Amino acid sequence: MSSAADTSARLPAHLYVHVPFCRSKCSYCDFFSLSDAAEAATSRWVAEVLAEARWWGARGMRGALETVYVGGGTPSLVAEKVAAVLAGVSAEFAIAPGAEVTVEANPDSLDAKSLASLRAAGVTRVSVGVQSFDDTVLGMLGRRHDSRRAAQACADVREAGLALSVDLICGVPGQSLTSWAETIATAVATGARHVSVYPLALEEGTPLAVAVDGGIVEPPDPDTAADMMVLAEESLARAGLARYEVANYAVPGAESRHNLAYWSGVPYLALGPAAHGMLDVAQARVAGLIGNDDYPDAARVRWSNAADLEWRTLPREVEVLTREEVAREDVMLGLRLVHGVAEEDVRAAELEEVMAELGAEGLVVRASGRWRTTARGWLLGNEVFERVWCG
Amino acid sequence: MAEGAAAFVPSAMPACYTTRLMTQPAYIRNFSIIAHIDHGKSTLADRVLQLTHTVDERDMMDQVLDSMDIERERGITIKAQAVRVWYDAEDGHQYQLNLIDTPGHVDFTYEVSRSLQACEGVLLVVDAAQGVEAQTVANALMAMNANLEIIPLINKIDLPAAEPERVRHEIEEALAIPADEAVLTSGKTGEGVREALEAVVRRVPAPVGDPEAPLKALIFDSYFDAYRGVVALVRIIDGTLAKNLKVKMMATGVVTDVEEVGVRRPANTPVDELGVGEVGYLITGLKDPALVRVGDTVTLAKHGAVDPLPGYREAKPMVFTGLFPIDGDQYPDLRDALDKLKLNDPALLYEPESSHALGFGFRVGFLGLLHMEVVKERLEREFDLDLLATAPSVEYHAYRTNGELVEVHSPQDMPDPGGIERVEEPYLRATVLVPPDFVGAVMELSESRRGVFKDMQYLSATTVEMHYEIPLSELIMDYFDQLKSRTKGYASLDYEYIGYRPSSLVKLDILLAGKPVDALSFIVHKDKAYQRGRVLTEKLREIIPRQMFDVPIQAAIGGKILARETVKAKRKDVLAKCYGGDITRKRKLLEKQKAGKKRMKNVGNVEVPQDAFMAILKVDE
Repeated sequence: MSSAADTSARLPAHLYVHVPFCRSKCSYCDFFSLSDAAEAATSRWVAEVLAEARWWGARGMRGALETVYVGGGTPSLVAEKVAAVLAGVSAEFAIAPGAEVTVEANPDSLDAKSLASLRAAGVTRVSVGVQSFDDTVLGMLGRRHDSRRAAQACADVREAGLALSVDLICGVPGQSLTSWAETIATAVATGARHVSVYPLALEEGTPLAVAVDGGIVEPPDPDTAADMMVLAEESLARAGLARYEVANYAVPGAESRHNLAYWSGVPYLALGPAAHGMLDVAQARVAGLIGNDDYPDAARVRWSNAADLEWRTLPREVEVLTREEVAREDVMLGLRLVHGVAEEDVRAAELEEVMAELGAEGLVVRASGRWRTTARGWLLGNEVFERVWCG
Repeated sequence: MAEGAAAFVPSAMPACYTTRLMTQPAYIRNFSIIAHIDHGKSTLADRVLQLTHTVDERDMMDQVLDSMDIERERGITIKAQAVRVWYDAEDGHQYQLNLIDTPGHVDFTYEVSRSLQACEGVLLVVDAAQGVEAQTVANALMAMNANLEIIPLINKIDLPAAEPERVRHEIEEALAIPADEAVLTSGKTGEGVREALEAVVRRVPAPVGDPEAPLKALIFDSYFDAYRGVVALVRIIDGTLAKNLKVKMMATGVVTDVEEVGVRRPANTPVDELGVGEVGYLITGLKDPALVRVGDTVTLAKHGAVDPLPGYREAKPMVFTGLFPIDGDQYPDLRDALDKLKLNDPALLYEPESSHALGFGFRVGFLGLLHMEVVKERLEREFDLDLLATAPSVEYHAYRTNGELVEVHSPQDMPDPGGIERVEEPYLRATVLVPPDFVGAVMELSESRRGVFKDMQYLSATTVEMHYEIPLSELIMDYFDQLKSRTKGYASLDYEYIGYRPSSLVKLDILLAGKPVDALSFIVHKDKAYQRGRVLTEKLREIIPRQMFDVPIQAAIGGKILARETVKAKRKDVLAKCYGGDITRKRKLLEKQKAGKKRMKNVGNVEVPQDAFMAILKVDE
């Protein structure tokens, strides 16, 4: 069904770049990062990322990029290198006029100098990993900054004329509802037009999870976390930031286009260690992710790079989805969005029965031809997504 | 499953062992080692094998005779074993010693009684630090009843806490066995083991029998070998058992050829024949264990013996539980596995059972709690099954108003209260040995478990023997664990079955989300129903995870609700941040979450973890 023409028409317009460097690891994080951010390692990373960009370019994936997202790790820690990568990327792929170029930043490694170099490299948006404006909570999370530094970093971003997004975490051991309310109010006061709210997940093996298992730290209470999520939605809405995705709130028009792409079933490229990308099967065959005759049922291909600075020479992990799986995946992802999923997509995925059951339990609701997640559904997302995906 | 001991083939086996002529009874000694659990019986047996060069040094591993993994891991003996060793005694003669290793746990008393029938004497092992314990008394009594020579061994004398003189005194006082000739041994260092064997040669009588009379051989144990069929362990009383004979099993009347006879050293080693007093194995090619019964007498098919040897006490299951496969598709596998275990374990009884909550499974009868645990573990380990066990119960006898007896193995079998005239339950006579300081603790515990005090006496200044009559159902709850913990581990327990007695019993139902869950019902004394129901509903509230809706948990008798708790609906269940578009990881987490739910049992629409079905046992009062 996909001719060469419509493949090229839908070349990946979104790019994720992973920066694997952090000053230190936060107590709750189990993502890939390296604490050695010495010149040798970071220069090598730049060279390898750009070599990987050329590798994709050579395979025809030279679409005009609508969004670029540089995440980590701590991109702000190596702002100069990020700028170099962005320069190289724009030489290899065209960056569309008005593109959204986001860089993640930690308050402790953000200053006027780094902001200036990022801005010069084409960055339009900075997502600041504030997590909380309460120093006790920041201590529990093992963050390197305090609330004053966080507020300063937010002000600096706005000062530099860049769009500001603030990341917050709720459901942290020892975090009270009052502390959470103050954190949200402070986040609103920074003038951020985009806020992400994540409930803390205790990932196995992280220092925080070990402390909870060992009885040193009281585990977070799931009911309190639910109250916090509800409080966040209400307070942010009052301040003009509406939920547009399960964890994301924005002033209308300030939604993250990159974030939306993840939930919309469109292809995206990925560069760097432990980065994840997705392509249509025709593109994946052209790029050589899978052989021309392999997986005759394939419809979509996801891959992830090895979590290692040598990632380019290490095998990628490739996941192949059939058309049926793609249909279910698209419904699952679509239900993360306030916009929801069209009835015909639910029908195509043969999920009408599941949706009816979820509807009966008040987790989703059908209106004007679309299925949407309810207030209860936002809090019980795992139940919704599991039943859509696993049937 | 072939017997694991076959793996220990002595590497350099002298040829004479396979063809050796029968030994004169005067140079045969058949003995057993008996002991309270953990007093060092299996280690001593190992030392005997080493001293007599039966097992090569390099093949020696701890507890050679305990061949099952579970036996070795738990340090317990479950199956009886019989091994032949050659011992060069100080009198200049070589003796054939047949060592019959027996289980030491109270559950396996029946195995001990069977094995003792094949012996003329026993080594009664007593721990030099622990002294006489309840099983020491029980085993010694059993040996006395079988008219066996008893040689006391005071073991573990290498321990710093060893007090051989005190223990010697205890043996004399508590057991009325002269102990001035008790042998002091250490299984750990090997000290005294030769002296023990000398005592066996000198004091255990040689077997007596008539070599000219028709064959009489006693089957004292058996196991199933996948290739050879049923392998019977036998003791020759009269006559000769030889290859190619036609023999008859007197109880079942089956006539069969002798395919192979042999001795265990400890690997099976064929011999041409077994004569009077000898102990060995018999393979007939019969595949059905029901035809080769433990306790039966083997004789010649033609001109055989007229009277069989006196039979054994039959093992009677005392504890019942439902075993259900977590995955319903494994039901046929569970049935096959039970059939296979039964080949080696005649005490195992089972019948199909179906539960609304748990689907198809089996009601299985066991000798006791340890037997139950061992069987469940073997089913899971050796047959790769995931099983759910319901709370253990006993066999209640309900008499209908018309006098009809209903045997209640499972709470579901209990007739409606209206139609019952009375219910009876099995009682035990429990013997507890304990230091005087803990007498009060034992009384308090036993009375709270409906025990009726009978008597107590001082065995010595440091040991009191107490007797209680107590319902078996109380004993299987947590009596033994509580006894151990309330007496700092000092108390030891033995019990014997004394029969059925009327009791005021009711069936307590547990309702989840308003529906009774049959697998959670249990039978309880009326006076304890309220308290048990309250504690159990609280326990279940902790165990059952929060679901998408409120789950009320109720305890009820008939229609009357005694207690109620609620598992509140979960409000929040979301995954955290999605790192850089890693949808794959997110989906894998969802699949893992789904698999976790699959491991639970779906009762109605409530997901119930396996622990819930055992919660009743963990009710700490």
